[in-house]
Amino acid sequence: MTAGSIARFLGRRVAHSAVVLLGVMVVVFALVQLVPGDPVRIALGTRYTQEAYDALRAASGLDRPLLEQFLSYVGNALTGDLGVSFRTGEAVAGTLLERLPATVSLALVGVVIALVVALPAGIWSGLHEGRVSDAVVRVVSQAGVSVPDFWLGMLLITVVASGLGWLPSSGYVPIAEDPVQWARRVALPALTVGLVAAAIMTRYVRTAVLEVSHAGYVRTARSKGLPASVVTGRHVVRNALIPILTITGIQLATILGGVIVVEVVFAWPGLGRLTYDAVAARDYPLIQGAVLLMAVMFLLVNLVVDALYSVVDPRIRLS
Amino acid sequence: MRQTMRQTLRQTRVLAGATAGLLLLTACSGGGEDVDLDGGGDGASGAGAEASGPVLRAAIGGEPDQLDPNKTSSYFSFQVLENVFDTLVEPDENLDMQPALAESWETSDDGLTWTFHLRDDVTFHDGSEFTADDVVYSFDRIVDEELSPSWRFGAVEDITAVDDRTVEITVSQPSPNLLSSLGGFKGLAIVEQANVESGDITTAPVGTGPFSVADYTSGESIDLVANPDYWGGAPEIGGVTYTFISEGATAIAALQGGEIDWTDSVPVQQLEQIQGDEAVETGVVPSNDYWYVALNEKREPWDDVRARQAVAYAIDREAIIQAVSFGTATPNQLAIPQESSWFTEYDQYSTDVDRAKGLLAEAGVTSATVDFLATSEYPETVTAAQIIADNLAPLGITVNIRTVDFATWLAEQGEGNFDAFMLSWLGNIDPDDFYYAQHHSTGGSNYQGYANPEVDRLLDAARTETDTAARKDLYAQAATTIADEASYIYLYNPSVIQAWSPQLEGYTARSDRAIRFRDVTLAE
Repeated sequence: MTAGSIARFLGRRVAHSAVVLLGVMVVVFALVQLVPGDPVRIALGTRYTQEAYDALRAASGLDRPLLEQFLSYVGNALTGDLGVSFRTGEAVAGTLLERLPATVSLALVGVVIALVVALPAGIWSGLHEGRVSDAVVRVVSQAGVSVPDFWLGMLLITVVASGLGWLPSSGYVPIAEDPVQWARRVALPALTVGLVAAAIMTRYVRTAVLEVSHAGYVRTARSKGLPASVVTGRHVVRNALIPILTITGIQLATILGGVIVVEVVFAWPGLGRLTYDAVAARDYPLIQGAVLLMAVMFLLVNLVVDALYSVVDPRIRLS
Repeated sequence: MRQTMRQTLRQTRVLAGATAGLLLLTACSGGGEDVDLDGGGDGASGAGAEASGPVLRAAIGGEPDQLDPNKTSSYFSFQVLENVFDTLVEPDENLDMQPALAESWETSDDGLTWTFHLRDDVTFHDGSEFTADDVVYSFDRIVDEELSPSWRFGAVEDITAVDDRTVEITVSQPSPNLLSSLGGFKGLAIVEQANVESGDITTAPVGTGPFSVADYTSGESIDLVANPDYWGGAPEIGGVTYTFISEGATAIAALQGGEIDWTDSVPVQQLEQIQGDEAVETGVVPSNDYWYVALNEKREPWDDVRARQAVAYAIDREAIIQAVSFGTATPNQLAIPQESSWFTEYDQYSTDVDRAKGLLAEAGVTSATVDFLATSEYPETVTAAQIIADNLAPLGITVNIRTVDFATWLAEQGEGNFDAFMLSWLGNIDPDDFYYAQHHSTGGSNYQGYANPEVDRLLDAARTETDTAARKDLYAQAATTIADEASYIYLYNPSVIQAWSPQLEGYTARSDRAIRFRDVTLAE
């Protein structure tokens, strides 16, 4: 029964995601139709012949009816064919996959850093509402939310890389090649995205803990003499997990979707920097592919979070 | 800041951003503190295990789109390819053409046949011998496939290999600019047919230059190793590793921290501070790119030379330069910078509002409105337009700045829908490239509609004049008239700005933005 209800719950979520994905595809497809200027002209530059123009237009299918173009776009995308980059002539899907490991490294390490900071800080702050320590956490996290990530990145480069010389300022080494170099290089960008995410998450964790700690069952648990650690662990934190999971998922998906500015600052060869370069070069097929991939990752992360909800809180799958 | 691409196409002027990629950011690299040739960035390389010298770590502002020199228009590609390929002849620091793969040449008495004698000690990186057939193949490829440098062959009628060491080129009219057309930049590189036909040239090009491409990891780095058989002598350094850092502050931090040895990703607003740092050497040289304003002479009152001159006298170049480049650009009232042997002294226009008012009164203009075309693709056009608007206000001229995307900008320019615009031309070397298309009454890029029979005559004569001194004199006359009559109102030459470690010796920043590492040494 439990397994069945989880399956039904997830089935609904998957169907829902499929609808969202179709919507994303409409938007991504429309991207090229909506940009000012003719994408074929932009691809060719100012000097081209009419034959070259017609050939590229036909090759990119832009001379066919819109609906037909859209259906073929969806069909190709579902089979992993995202077209060919204007700029490099390489397959978009392959280019995106090449960059994925760098971004995944950054996102996972960043979220771990965020959790390590935000969970203790938020829980402590929530349990000590109104005390000095709570005020300190709130002020610091508010400041953290207000700091632009590129500025924090520059600060870390200036202080930790150039000033102290502890870590390299930029670049990427795959973990499979040299785990030590990988760790040294991922540290600063991950700290940058992690601290910014931590500031946001701390506030959510605090609020979630605060709400639960005012609930009747927590008061009951306390009044029946349970030790504070048990009340916190079993009653407060467990019930606060749902909003914490939600915000963690959102932060993870956001970083996976490309922390463009941080990747540019640290010369990190991930999806964010790829997207940045693609936009700068008006490389529409690549921009479309990157946006679609980001959307898919966002949906996947949300699906996983949904599945975890139903594990953490059985009430969810019944609703 | 948009040093992005060096466009070499004469007609394409700044167009580039759109196609090439660049952008304004520059780079910094990231590379590696522990890069050595056979280990460094990724296990795949290793080609240069026997190379001896230290490896230069260079950070460029972005990643090349491809490594085929005849096809790419991205400056990031040329920053790498400058060190991998050779041309028949090549520009020295003053942009005069010098022998390279061709060790000598002569022209027939009628000036219509050029005979190039090739070096006999050149091999490609894969060991195959370089011959006249490779030159013919490369040039035919550019012309037949209409690759981006093909316009440079406009006067060329035929290219033949007389024997293995001799190439003969016939032209339709005497062409004193043929050398710069054939060797002005690495877009004219001599490539290897097998490398092209296998398709490998886009990521693993085979050239004849001082370094060969050992490894290319997309998004991360390109590794070059020294070519021990280079005809000009093997480089002292063991190789070059390029990384891509678009953020200038990161690049400078990496340079100061000893992670890289060279970068052109330099934030201009930090230039003074960087110049004060003993751990960093800087090179700041006016480039042979230039920015200008043009007024539409098909519209009133700009058909009147006095009205155009009034604008030229009212503009405050220094203020524009401060705003667009933090003072790093060099004001110039003609197109060609001082470093070039084609430079002509000219300083007719100092900012003089009274004189501007007088000229406008003579032209009978009491007030005017200017539709000023600017584009966010090149933010300096927007910034400068604001200053120009301010400069012209006291004359009773109202400037309406119209900022559009670059595709629209090009269309509006082409259709003549503007009173004024500002843009630049990049990467020119020969004076014909600087003046003919822009100011000849039949010139393909004369969007402002300038027509002066005397200038046409001078430009036509200069185009075929084979005596260099006489030719220089013709261009000096033409350029002076062009500026006197304000066909273009020239503003400035932006600077090439690069920074490197004091350990790097023998490197020079060049006005044509070519990055040459073949003669440098690097202290270990």
